[in-house]
Amino acid sequence: MGSVTQRPIKVLLAKLGLDIHWRGVVSISRMLRDAGMEVIYLGNQFPEGIVAAALQESPDVVGLSTLCGNHLSLGPKVVQLLKERNMEDVLVIMGGVIPPDDREELKRRGIAEVFGPDTPVKQIVQFIEEKVRGRDPS
Amino acid sequence: MKKEGLFNEKAIEEIEKARALWQGECLRPEDLESEQLLKSASGIPLRLIYTPENVRDMDYLRELGFPGLPPYTRGVYPNMYRGRPFTIRQIAGFGSPEDCNKRMKFFLEKGGTGLNIVLDMPTIRGYDSDSPQAEGNVGQCGVAIDSVEDMKALFQDLPIDKVSVSLVTHLPSTTVILLSMYMVMAEERGIAPHALAGTTQNDFLMETTIGSAPEILPPRHSFRIQCDVIEHATRILPRWNPVSYNGYNLREAGTDAVTEVGIAIANAQATAEELMKRGREPDSFLPRFSFFWDLHNDFFEEIAKCRASRRVWYRVTSEKLGAKNPRSHLMRFHVQTAGITLPSIEPLNNIARAAIQGLAAVLGGAQSLHVDSFDEAYSAPTETSALVSLRTQQIIQVETGVTKVIDPLGGSYYVEYLTSELERRILEFLEKVKSLGGIVTAVETGWVHSLIADFAYRQQRAIESGELPIVGVNYLPSDKKEPPMEIFRYPETEGRQRAKLKELREKRDKVRWKEALDRVRECCHEGSNLMPVVMDAVRARATLGEIQQIFRECFGLWEFPLK
Repeated sequence: MGSVTQRPIKVLLAKLGLDIHWRGVVSISRMLRDAGMEVIYLGNQFPEGIVAAALQESPDVVGLSTLCGNHLSLGPKVVQLLKERNMEDVLVIMGGVIPPDDREELKRRGIAEVFGPDTPVKQIVQFIEEKVRGRDPS
Repeated sequence: MKKEGLFNEKAIEEIEKARALWQGECLRPEDLESEQLLKSASGIPLRLIYTPENVRDMDYLRELGFPGLPPYTRGVYPNMYRGRPFTIRQIAGFGSPEDCNKRMKFFLEKGGTGLNIVLDMPTIRGYDSDSPQAEGNVGQCGVAIDSVEDMKALFQDLPIDKVSVSLVTHLPSTTVILLSMYMVMAEERGIAPHALAGTTQNDFLMETTIGSAPEILPPRHSFRIQCDVIEHATRILPRWNPVSYNGYNLREAGTDAVTEVGIAIANAQATAEELMKRGREPDSFLPRFSFFWDLHNDFFEEIAKCRASRRVWYRVTSEKLGAKNPRSHLMRFHVQTAGITLPSIEPLNNIARAAIQGLAAVLGGAQSLHVDSFDEAYSAPTETSALVSLRTQQIIQVETGVTKVIDPLGGSYYVEYLTSELERRILEFLEKVKSLGGIVTAVETGWVHSLIADFAYRQQRAIESGELPIVGVNYLPSDKKEPPMEIFRYPETEGRQRAKLKELREKRDKVRWKEALDRVRECCHEGSNLMPVVMDAVRARATLGEIQQIFRECFGLWEFPLK
């Protein structure tokens, strides 16, 4: 069971590649902070940059936001690069405008969950807490 | 002596008495309590009913007048839609230029009256399709354009001397290249510059504020290029709008109606002041300014916004900029319905939402319109959903009868009250921006970014708490499983664009190409107008990414101020 002195869950958020729409990810970063998480928002980054930041920050979660159609090519690449750096225990989640069929494909390729445009943020918070706290040995 | 308003004092007194009686005898206490909480979407306090009392000081000729005459509240043209119906301008943009060309032909065949092209992210942000940054984004969400050859393929067999073309270029730094490509394409097809009608977006807030990116030019340089394009294009393209001050994407990112219009007008005013510093007369360029609004859910406030924005622009051009040519005062605007209001849940409901927003645009006197498609939250529109949007416009235009009479809501006590209140708030916002040192400084300091982020955050919280109801989402959600829907799949584009680029780079005259790029570099440092040298580089088959890279090297990069 978790103790009261548990350190906050650390989340690294990025706008994926060239996507320009920052409204969602910036709102979510604030709302995850409201939920007690430590959030680092990287702004726009390509997979290599995201994984370099992950190496430095050791987050529990990497969150990728994209609304412009690059999810299938760049999302799984982050998972793969994390694996190559022995960081496969980092939870990778995605959000944005992603067609339902592609959500399944992304999950098959290692994305833990894909959140669509109308997802309440509390649902994302709950998912992260369950997954991260659930696997804590303490 | 006080000038008598539309209503005499005695009439107002009688109305006041009658209203007090009605309130006391006919309303329940809870009705009056609920009035305390009534607000428009922009936070304007509202009453249960509007009467002549609320517009008692209205000066008809000074505040409303007639369409085509100051202050243009009722419309920019004397005969409005009787003379020129609003342009049905549905967006097209995906895949390669060859793919997108087919969609544009489809729209024109089905009765579209203007073209509207969106570009993919690498094109918008100035990367060639074969650059590492473009991976996964080529031809997605817009069409890929790398060189003038692509521009030629995009408009192959399209009557660009007859149909007006909107190029949704977003950034000044890519507008200067893409408009050059468009002009060189026309030149090589033998079409004279004066025959080209259309619009480029060219808004420095799109480069630095509304959209984020891995590499962003500094606001001051982006603003300079915005002004360069306008300065040059207003000399040689008499029918082109070289800028579309973009309230739309501000609103989508997160602002209310007042800020949407306020920021766009602040940018337009700053541009005019810069061009006047460069020695241009305001009347030589103001007639080519155009604007772009987002028509959202609060029906009457949105209509009032359109009317108020025309009036504010007239006050700015006549009082602050000293324009004399009547055409300088006309705020002509394109409207797109609000994509942000269209959820992925129960998507067919979005047809109703977009139709109502489109109707508001027409009641507000828009010059052209794009109605969003119901599958907005899934992908680019399919041919089926795009056709529903096009048909929605035609239904508004010919079936509803709303275009028969000019400004049909003019004189509504409520709409007039809202129009005046929005005008007052927009003018106040302009003063605020001025006190911060102007719009370029307000962007550099991150003030505008925080304004947007704070609003977006508050709105997300309001959705989660249910305070902001969305039918089928947080209001009466259904537990029925969604039926599967057809989703647009982008055609494979990257390989085709790469092959074309390889051929272009092999075939072009390398000496001429290099010299042309060197001249762009020199011009960046000298500070003279960039457009003529960029046009030369485009003629020499320089690519979009090659020219943009020179801008990055010469102007440096800027750090986006949100963490």
